[in-house]
Amino acid sequence: MTQEELLSRLSAQLPQLEKSAVGVKDYVTMRLKSASDLPVVAEILKNELGFDYFEIVSATDWLGPVKPEGYIRNPNPNVFLPEGATPQNMPGATPGVHYRPVFELLWVLANIKEKIRVFLRLEIPRDNAEAPSLTGLFKAADWQEREVFDLMGIRFAGHPNLIKILTPDFTVGHPLRKDYVHVKDKYDED
Amino acid sequence: MTRTSPLAGVKTDTLFVNLGPQHPSTHGVLRVGLTIDGEVITKAVPDIGYLHRGTSKLAEVRGYHHCVVLTDRWDYVSAMPNNLVFCLAAEKLMGLKIPPRAKALRVLMCELNRIASHLLFFGTYGIDLGAFTPFLYAFREREMVLDLFEMCCGARLTYNYIRLGGVMVDVGDNWIAKTKEFIEYFKPRLDEYDTLLTYNPIFMVRTREVGKIAAEVAVNWGLSGPNLRGSGVNYDVRKADPYCGYEQYDFEVPLGKSGSCWDRYFCRVSEMRQSVRLCEQVLATLPPGEFMAMGVAKVPKPAAGEAYAHVEGARGDLGIYLVSDGQASPYRMHVRAPSFINLAILQEMLVGNKVSDVIAILGSIDIVLGEVDR
Repeated sequence: MTQEELLSRLSAQLPQLEKSAVGVKDYVTMRLKSASDLPVVAEILKNELGFDYFEIVSATDWLGPVKPEGYIRNPNPNVFLPEGATPQNMPGATPGVHYRPVFELLWVLANIKEKIRVFLRLEIPRDNAEAPSLTGLFKAADWQEREVFDLMGIRFAGHPNLIKILTPDFTVGHPLRKDYVHVKDKYDED
Repeated sequence: MTRTSPLAGVKTDTLFVNLGPQHPSTHGVLRVGLTIDGEVITKAVPDIGYLHRGTSKLAEVRGYHHCVVLTDRWDYVSAMPNNLVFCLAAEKLMGLKIPPRAKALRVLMCELNRIASHLLFFGTYGIDLGAFTPFLYAFREREMVLDLFEMCCGARLTYNYIRLGGVMVDVGDNWIAKTKEFIEYFKPRLDEYDTLLTYNPIFMVRTREVGKIAAEVAVNWGLSGPNLRGSGVNYDVRKADPYCGYEQYDFEVPLGKSGSCWDRYFCRVSEMRQSVRLCEQVLATLPPGEFMAMGVAKVPKPAAGEAYAHVEGARGDLGIYLVSDGQASPYRMHVRAPSFINLAILQEMLVGNKVSDVIAILGSIDIVLGEVDR
């Protein structure tokens, strides 16, 4: 199936979706109009259109360039620089990029038989980061949603066991947020 | 006189057992909290994160060329596909065209690495189940593959060989001769493995009826790689979403039938045969020409955009989602780590099994903790 066929089929069956302005290269990317549509859309995709393989859930923090305080040591050292030279700069803001206080969630669902996949994206506000959980439909969402919760701090409503998974218990905050600041713990030097 | 059971009136209780974090059969630092009732497991809680190094966060302040080095450390027993998947995603962002020779070399290295990785599985799975001999044979051959890699790029495990735009160095005639020699040596060894372990009656009894995963369960848990194909689901990224010219090579996707530990094991052993076939085809048709694309920037700053690339690594569908905002570092890097997603099914699979089967099931999933925790 070509991308156009998939796109027309999706937009015919799912009015909750629209074509995303910024797409993931080489793949069909759709935008969800609101968070509450997600469970319905996912169910139709799974049961009627055969997208039964949950590939990814991921999130991007669009706040702006990452803060250096989030790293324990010098984040980007250049050992080849001569003595006294200015170190490499941290990534800065690029003019023209629309930085805004939102999280952009991304789900990838695949149809194994027809070898197609669809990318769903959704913007949620940063101060109330919550999205519906898909654990009821896909067991694969269990640990992946926990990972996004742990590293990005997005709560998935309806997840049966939304607890930390990768970072240690004493880690304060969610490391992949762009404004994360590292709090010194017992394993830090000096 | 009526006899009463000696256990009448005895109160039984469940027992909590810690498996790991330092247990030789967990292949790394994995802890599984097991609640057992007699010999039967009633609850299993995998505890991961001991090896979490935050590579997604690190990537946000490193250049694209530096990130390739980070990828080596996920699945450290098959690092070539890790290198490859990051390069594919970054090359999509940059719009680079890869020369045919580089593509063929990438396929060759990934398949050799798959052989090395499956040999490690073959050896250690035997040890897990009490068969020590296959390990010695497997490591003899694995050492040869690692020697080939060392000869080619200087490293045994963390290669950093596949670079943005191509590969690090071209291979010489000497290397190609050695690889052909290895493949000829390796082919009869595969039959030897079958006699050693695959059709060993004790091994089959311990694995054939254990840890069965139905096809729809495997799909629902998002399993990939031999774990999914062991259940009979035909999904291989090399066929479903071809990259690096896999569509031009002739190979089969081995499938299991019942989804038991033995089926998963057998898929891996059969995959080694297919990898050998692929290596032979690549060596026979290795195109001449450049091994690196022209005009790869020293500090690449791809235009703002997003890309997703995935490859069939030794453990499954390894994916990278990269977001660029035009800076010299990725704005966001998300890794779809197959080991991490494959491991999640453990909490459901172990329940109802005997304690002695835990190791058989855990070993058959074939995880690498470096990739689970990233």
